[in-house]
Amino acid sequence: MSYKPQNNRAWLGVLPVLLIVAFSAVVPLMTVINYSVQDILDFNTRFFVGFEWYVQTLNDERFIEAFGRQLAFSFTVLALEIPLGIAVARGIPKNSRLTPLILIVLALPLLIPWNVVGTIWQIFARSDIGLLGVAINAMGISYNYTSEPLHAWLTLVAMDVWHWTSLVALLAFAGLTAIPQPYYQAAELDGASSWQVLRYVELPRLRGVLIIAVLLRLMDSFMIYTEPFVLTGGGPGNTTTFLSQYLATMAVGQFDLGPAAAFSVIYFLFILLFCWLFYQSVVKRDEETP
Amino acid sequence: MSSIELKNLRFCYPGADEDTLSDLNLQIANGEAHALLGASGAGKTTLLNLLSGLLVPTAGQVLFDGRDVSELPGRERAVAQVFQFPVLYEAMSVAENLAFPLRNRGLDAEAISARVAYVSDELELGDRLARKATSLSLFEKQLVAVGKALMRPDVSLVLLDEPLTAVEPRIKWRLRQTLRKVQADLGVTMIYVTHDQTEALTFADRVSVLTADGIVQTGSPREVYQSPAQEFVGHFVGSPGMNFIPANVLQTVPGDRAGFRPEWASIDPGGQLAGSVGRVSLLGTRGGVAEGLVTVFTEHGEVNVRGPVEVQEGDAVGIRVDRYVAFANELRIAEGELA
Repeated sequence: MSYKPQNNRAWLGVLPVLLIVAFSAVVPLMTVINYSVQDILDFNTRFFVGFEWYVQTLNDERFIEAFGRQLAFSFTVLALEIPLGIAVARGIPKNSRLTPLILIVLALPLLIPWNVVGTIWQIFARSDIGLLGVAINAMGISYNYTSEPLHAWLTLVAMDVWHWTSLVALLAFAGLTAIPQPYYQAAELDGASSWQVLRYVELPRLRGVLIIAVLLRLMDSFMIYTEPFVLTGGGPGNTTTFLSQYLATMAVGQFDLGPAAAFSVIYFLFILLFCWLFYQSVVKRDEETP
Repeated sequence: MSSIELKNLRFCYPGADEDTLSDLNLQIANGEAHALLGASGAGKTTLLNLLSGLLVPTAGQVLFDGRDVSELPGRERAVAQVFQFPVLYEAMSVAENLAFPLRNRGLDAEAISARVAYVSDELELGDRLARKATSLSLFEKQLVAVGKALMRPDVSLVLLDEPLTAVEPRIKWRLRQTLRKVQADLGVTMIYVTHDQTEALTFADRVSVLTADGIVQTGSPREVYQSPAQEFVGHFVGSPGMNFIPANVLQTVPGDRAGFRPEWASIDPGGQLAGSVGRVSLLGTRGGVAEGLVTVFTEHGEVNVRGPVEVQEGDAVGIRVDRYVAFANELRIAEGELA
């Protein structure tokens, strides 16, 4: 026999949260899904078109290209930012008077508004007046990110690494400081090399933090919009047009609400899928180890 | 395995006004199990770090087999350490954990697996070798950590830093037993750091009592227990510690204070002391007679007497003291029996 008090009025307490979630997430999402299955000519004229926009989007060559670029960009910056962030975190002294200063300096790129980051690099990398652009050209290497697709890419990647490695480094540093000193002492007495300390002491204990870092960076880089928009505007040609930028052109530029909504849903599902795949692979490996 | 010597060892943390350790001298024989017993704040951890090479002494020397290793980093000292909680490589199996220190020294695979088999056999870990370190119980993990410390056949010194702290009380004695057996079998020089006097007295060949003033006494557990060099040692070692009363109460005893162990006294109406029974705690029986600890309130403070319990709380009793240690200015000056 249970004496647990029954009181359904508690649900009233949850109601505000439900309302907020409904208006901030569910309603907009449903609106987009609603748009994605209609052809909207004006406010009063719309037709149900089923999955037509989805089929069209998935067969759209520009979408597929942007998607490929997006994948290449996300994986490139992840492959650079995660190892680099760990390396930087390992280099930060743990109990020094300088530690807070270093952390503040590291956090600076994260505090700069995204379009300002784009602007900074847009000027910094210019081959006529930018410090970086002029310096590279002065070394005898011809560099111009506004006309060379490869240069545009390298500049974008460099900018993203500059902008976001700090986040990985700060997360990893927080993880490193949580490792008790005896683990390092034992490794020293066991004659472990610096590489072995990383491999056997630090990485296993950074796992949780790194999963978060990878998820954050994966989602964020997949949705990148502002910085490339300011830096290259998607050019030269379409070579740096990523998904979000193509989407913005469709929705805001051409006002193709139906196709843009279908695009959004597909885009959203892909991000969800990647995060789910990544998370599953991590969790599964945890379960396999006895 | 080496003999260990500390010569006029001094250590002062950078920026600190006072030395944490000053003028420390200690000799430990090859193959000895030595316990460093000290209250917290006595500098136990600092001394450990000086021995393991994490810290470099401000002055003085650490000698292994007569060789000065004071400036050598830990990895070059052939020292192993067991910590308060099990420190293992969690991604590795038990066997890989054990093999790790040897592999880093470039031993060949055959020698390593022979040593893994030997050490795991000694610690009765044979059936756990293939398991992941994370899947073991706390006790087994600490056992593996002990095993890892014993892997190097040429290990000079094994440091144990309160290794039983994390282990549950029920199996503490088992791990201590295993440690003692392995130490005797392998003849490894061990330094066991603890604040628990029972652990120190039951584990070690010799015990050093460390206070903020340095090492106040070194001797066999029996010596430290029977003839404490200072009042502090008498008080700190033993549970409960020594009773202290003014020396003149026992008439023939020299010095200013006399100390006696609870079992050196008995309840006797004709004794030198008188008081009333405050508390009685029974510990067991012997020959049908209840045995335990009787706390008597006397005019010189509480006095504990261990032995047969035939009194009740509130009884007026006398206490006869048969054996004493005499102290002057807190230092031992004499000891003896009382007729």
